[in-house]
Amino acid sequence: MKKTVVLFIIAALVLITTGLWIFSGHSEIKPAELISLGVIALVVVFALFVGYKRLTSVKKGEPAEDEMSKKVMHKTSSMSYYISLYWWLAIMYFSDKLKFETHTIIGAGILGMAVIFAVCWFVYNFRGERNE
Amino acid sequence: MNNRIKEFRARYNFTQEDLAKKVNVRRETIVFLEKNKYNPSLKLAYDIARVFEAKIEDIFYFD
Repeated sequence: MKKTVVLFIIAALVLITTGLWIFSGHSEIKPAELISLGVIALVVVFALFVGYKRLTSVKKGEPAEDEMSKKVMHKTSSMSYYISLYWWLAIMYFSDKLKFETHTIIGAGILGMAVIFAVCWFVYNFRGERNE
Repeated sequence: MNNRIKEFRARYNFTQEDLAKKVNVRRETIVFLEKNKYNPSLKLAYDIARVFEAKIEDIFYFD
């Protein structure tokens, strides 16, 4: 239950920070920033989805986390870390070819990692986890 | 590894939710077990066998 509350707090903090970013000193939103906002929205929706699933499990009298969900999370973490290494490698390669500002590159890296994590979680959560 | 959880569940007239509560896992885990998409830990296999008053090898088997 504590982890679920932390998840909702983090999602709220991300939303507040994004709101501050949008409303402080920005007259208009650029197309590149719109993509960032879309990715942030996806990440927040993912966090809310996971939190909601945990809450409904608790309401039904089931544990918020069990051995399968822990295994899925473990596998997701390791695979997303592995893919993220290649993501950062690709960013390093393209940052040499294209001229982007440093904060844009770091933002793309962090948001990309979040998306990779979410995609891995969905793959492992719906495909299942066999010990073969 | 395959299993006969669905068969045993029908015999005992348990829903997936009933079994999930008895072995302290989420219903999703039971769904994945029945579809053979997840291999349980030894503890979970033992708990399920105990609920059905059977041996582990009666419920879980290799092809």
